Amino acid sequence: MRLIRTACCIALTLPLFAHSAPAHVHGVAKMDLAVDGNKLTLSMEMPLDNLVGFEHLPKTDKQKAALAEAMASLKNAADLFVPTVAAGCKVDTVDVGDPFPGGKAKADGHADVDADYVFRCAQPAALKGLETKLFKRFGRLHRVDVQRATAAGQGAATLTPEQPGMNW
Amino acid sequence: MMAMLKLAAHSAWARRLTLGVTLFSIAISTAMLLSVERIRLNARQSFTQSVSGVDLVVGARTGGVQLMLYSVFHVGQATNNIEWTSFAALAGHPAVAWAIPLSLGDSHRGFAVLGTSAEYFPRFRYGDGRWLKFSDGKAFSRVFEAVIGSEVAARLNYRVGDSITLTHGFGNQALTEHADKPFAIVGILEATGTAVDRTVHISLEAMTALHLDWVAGAPVPGLSIPQNYVEKFDLRPKEITAALIGLKSRADVFRMQRFVNEFRGEPLLAVMPGVALDELWQTIGMVERALFAVSALVIVVGLCGLVSTLLAGLNERRRELAILRALGAGPGDVFMMLAIEGVLVTTAGAMLGVAVLYAATHLAAGWLLAQLGVVIAAQWLSPAEFGLLSLVVLTGLLASLVPGWRAWRMSLADGLTPRV
Repeated sequence: MRLIRTACCIALTLPLFAHSAPAHVHGVAKMDLAVDGNKLTLSMEMPLDNLVGFEHLPKTDKQKAALAEAMASLKNAADLFVPTVAAGCKVDTVDVGDPFPGGKAKADGHADVDADYVFRCAQPAALKGLETKLFKRFGRLHRVDVQRATAAGQGAATLTPEQPGMNW
Repeated sequence: MMAMLKLAAHSAWARRLTLGVTLFSIAISTAMLLSVERIRLNARQSFTQSVSGVDLVVGARTGGVQLMLYSVFHVGQATNNIEWTSFAALAGHPAVAWAIPLSLGDSHRGFAVLGTSAEYFPRFRYGDGRWLKFSDGKAFSRVFEAVIGSEVAARLNYRVGDSITLTHGFGNQALTEHADKPFAIVGILEATGTAVDRTVHISLEAMTALHLDWVAGAPVPGLSIPQNYVEKFDLRPKEITAALIGLKSRADVFRMQRFVNEFRGEPLLAVMPGVALDELWQTIGMVERALFAVSALVIVVGLCGLVSTLLAGLNERRRELAILRALGAGPGDVFMMLAIEGVLVTTAGAMLGVAVLYAATHLAAGWLLAQLGVVIAAQWLSPAEFGLLSLVVLTGLLASLVPGWRAWRMSLADGLTPRV
């Protein structure tokens, strides 16, 4: 009994020593939102599972097509994010990372997708919120945890299919 | 109408005991509803006003909320410290505009002692970006000098020039007193309404100096380094509790956060204060709503009491109402009289409730500030509170329609025919 307890204690402390990997929770995406001057930056990070339902290298033609389609729609920023219309924000750059860098899967069997978007806004003072259509496009995504830093200060928000928008 | 009002008032006065009790219960429930609302708002404000202009708070890896609680609000303790070398590496990062080290753990008569750099005073901001100001004296410049917050000064009656000793940890034992190394108070800060008011600030070097002749959390027997020799030792701190970081560009905050969280030297955590506070409120939000629901229910119970008192009173008042009818009052007048009575009791109850609220906040303000760090501002009723009050009175009006309707239905003959 005591041995088990000791083993558990050691097991619990192990993650403290290892260099921690970013959390990988299926159904959840992380988003960092920054507004600086006229620039609106969105950085997303999520498990590939949210987009296509698998995290291994695509094997069948169907899986390949699904992956290609998901990556393409992830690149279509104007369809995924709607900043306050009055701010007049236009997509500037989009950078979607390859879930399988070098064509190889990671050793732990998980795959993540990073996506960075930059918008330029004509009226940054009018930029007061953002709505996302990610949930409509990706049915396996259930929650986006947002951290934001804007001129109005910092804040946190949780976006869900029922509440896909936030204001600051 | 005037006559009806007068009659209702006189009639109510005749039944002042039962109505008084009802009025009291409405007053208590109103006071409770308003105070829950007020504490909720003030607590939120106290927390969000506590720190401003800080982009990141860095500490040992733990929960974001916990890190905020101990580093900014001085509530609870750190599980681990961070190495000075890590702090130096972060402070030297090209994206960092300034970095202030914080070292906690000692106390002075229940007030937290914060070891920091002199840069803390011109850098720290609170509220909507307000700076710290000295009401007396100046920042510390030498080792055994201390700057105290306004509340420390007020409660312990300290002035610039006074001498104080610090306690190791938060105990009260004489053994852990740093009695051999007293500090001179050189500055008193103006009131901020934040944790700063309840803090004794000393330099990091002083923090090290205090513990020079200590090993493993206790003074070494027989070893005592006199105060005037202390400065010959290397007083550079080896570890600190947390750090406040300001960045050159706001947009760098996420990159810097990632840099800290993946720091090579040791496990560190960087939280954005605004994000951690929002998360804290998302957690507390449930409790808030529960408290609010309970006080709303208390109001409902109070109003049910009102209705039942009025209904029960109808039986006693058969004769009174019948005489009124006989004197020419229509059923509508009787209905009005009952409704007016209900509204009068609710309104008076709500007003008494506001009085109770003011008395209670006046009495409890000091305790709330000392125990929870929540500043309850003595303020006039806010529009939202007025809204709540009118809702209470409106519900009271609706509730008193029930006995009014009963009285309306009672026939003229009802109260005049003696029943055996």
